[in-house]
Amino acid sequence: MNKILLIDDEPDIVRVLGISLKADGYEVIPALSGAEGLEAFAREKPQIVITDIKMPGMDGIEVLGKIKDLDPDTEVIIITGHGDIDNTIEALKYGASDFINKPVRDEALSIALKRAREKLEIKQKLKEYTTDLEKKIEAATAELRRQTSFQTKLIRSSNDGIVATDQDLKVVIYNPGAQRIFGYSQSEVLYKMTVAQLFPAEIANPFRAARAGDSSIKDIAWQQTEILAKNGESIPVKFSGSILRENDIDMGTVAFFQDLREIKRLEKELLQAERLAAVGQTVAGLAHGIKNILHGLKGGSYLVDVGIKNNDTAKLTKGWAMVKRNIDRTSNLVMDLLSYSKEREPEYETCRPNEIAADVCELVQAKAQENDVTIIREFDDSIGEVIMDPRTIHEVLLNLMSNAVDACLFDEDTTKQWRVKLKTAREQDNIIRFEVEDNGAGMSEEIQHQLFTSFFSTKGHRGTGLGLMVSRKMIEEHQGTIEVQSQPGKGTVFTVRLPFQSADSQ
Amino acid sequence: MSKKVLVVDDDPDVRLFSVTVLEENGYLPLEAANGEEGLKMVKAEKPDLIILDVLMPRQSGIRLYREMKTDKALKDIPIIILSGIAKKTFLRSQKAMTEFGGKPVPEPEVYLEKPVEPEELAETIKKVMG
Repeated sequence: MNKILLIDDEPDIVRVLGISLKADGYEVIPALSGAEGLEAFAREKPQIVITDIKMPGMDGIEVLGKIKDLDPDTEVIIITGHGDIDNTIEALKYGASDFINKPVRDEALSIALKRAREKLEIKQKLKEYTTDLEKKIEAATAELRRQTSFQTKLIRSSNDGIVATDQDLKVVIYNPGAQRIFGYSQSEVLYKMTVAQLFPAEIANPFRAARAGDSSIKDIAWQQTEILAKNGESIPVKFSGSILRENDIDMGTVAFFQDLREIKRLEKELLQAERLAAVGQTVAGLAHGIKNILHGLKGGSYLVDVGIKNNDTAKLTKGWAMVKRNIDRTSNLVMDLLSYSKEREPEYETCRPNEIAADVCELVQAKAQENDVTIIREFDDSIGEVIMDPRTIHEVLLNLMSNAVDACLFDEDTTKQWRVKLKTAREQDNIIRFEVEDNGAGMSEEIQHQLFTSFFSTKGHRGTGLGLMVSRKMIEEHQGTIEVQSQPGKGTVFTVRLPFQSADSQ
Repeated sequence: MSKKVLVVDDDPDVRLFSVTVLEENGYLPLEAANGEEGLKMVKAEKPDLIILDVLMPRQSGIRLYREMKTDKALKDIPIIILSGIAKKTFLRSQKAMTEFGGKPVPEPEVYLEKPVEPEELAETIKKVMG
């Protein structure tokens, strides 16, 4: 910024001004004619030019014009004669920055130079700013383009079907995922179909209502429904949607679809596999139970044979009793199987759950005493007369209580004081909780998992393997729940919750 | 003198059946209703053969079997297992117990699955007793 080109046809002026400018710290390039000046300008590229206006050959105005052509940012200060208005106006037209009158005074010159430098600085800053702004815009545009392309790819590669519309509900985005579900090609749908044509009414209606001005509709939560594909197939989908608004102005809508065909198919297969597995287990369990009974029947008939052969009435009697016992076992098994497979409605009537519980305790008492198991009753007296199915309570509790006694019999830790506790408690919301707790053998997690679902017995000849399955079924028919908590070696708690109706309300 | 055979089973029907088969074939049957009782009888009576059920309350047949097979004085008494559970399941349980730090035990001389024909039981007993 320190270079100044000084053009004047008078060598004295050039010399005097040159000395003065050098003293102010500028580097001065002197030129004694317009042509020489232009040549120097092209070579030195100064940012400030001071030129006399009246010169032989190329005058100041022409020099100004040419310099501005070469570099419009150059500050050109014109030295004019006194009162030379016409030339001044002409010079302004060509973009002169400033004027100094002859005779040139130092103060006027330094003010003009100061202004020129200020202008140059501002220009420079403006230029830098503009360049910076341009760079920023370029970067922003690139980023925007990148994002748009990213979003386009995102939409295109989404497994979900995405259908977006403009504010007139005309489809503007229809990705390959949507194509796979609806079956229409992009060219059939884009800018041609509206949601009313593409979607079933159930899905299209909320969009149309929103379009008609119902601003309460914003997002449509995920829901399962079916759409009708191009080929007429009804396809199960999960669907969610949104109304797109900016500053309360509708921009359009977007809908997302998940194809549920594969999931439905897998669900069906899984169900089938589970059913087959259950049948397999049931058959295996049943075969086991029958094998035991068969052994008893064979044993009985063998005893009868021996009795007849040896004329031994005692053997004959024992053998016959054995046959009869095993006929009973068969009938128990069949009854259990029947009650498991049969739908049964609970028969609700007025009853006293505590009395039923007491009765069950009585029934298992003998077996418990025989095996050193103490039965503990802990009944909630606030349970009086209620309406429930007494048979459900009785059967479930009897099953759980005799299981609990068995759990003590199967416990190998003979140092324990075995006990089985039956607890009743009234809970909120008209629920009675029954707890059967023992400190017997306990069960591993694996066994706990199998308890209610499979034909399962850990009790050899004693169990039909159906007790808990039947109990759970009865409890569920009574709208109740059953849970188990158990630790091997520590014991087991079964918790049954059954709803009741108050007996006074009738 | 007739040979002593101990029947260990919690199911009285099964005991009665085995006892009758033994009597009919000239053996002297002894009875125990669980593993605990069984071990006492084994020690007191020194039977020549044991017919054992594996799934019983109190002290299981599996435990009695392992105790006998790891006891120097008792391990040579032959054992016939007569059970409602499959042989495969029984052997798997033995393997698991060995892995849990127990001593490895030999397989039983004979493993019979219920139901069993009286003739088959009688023949098996004869074969095992030699």
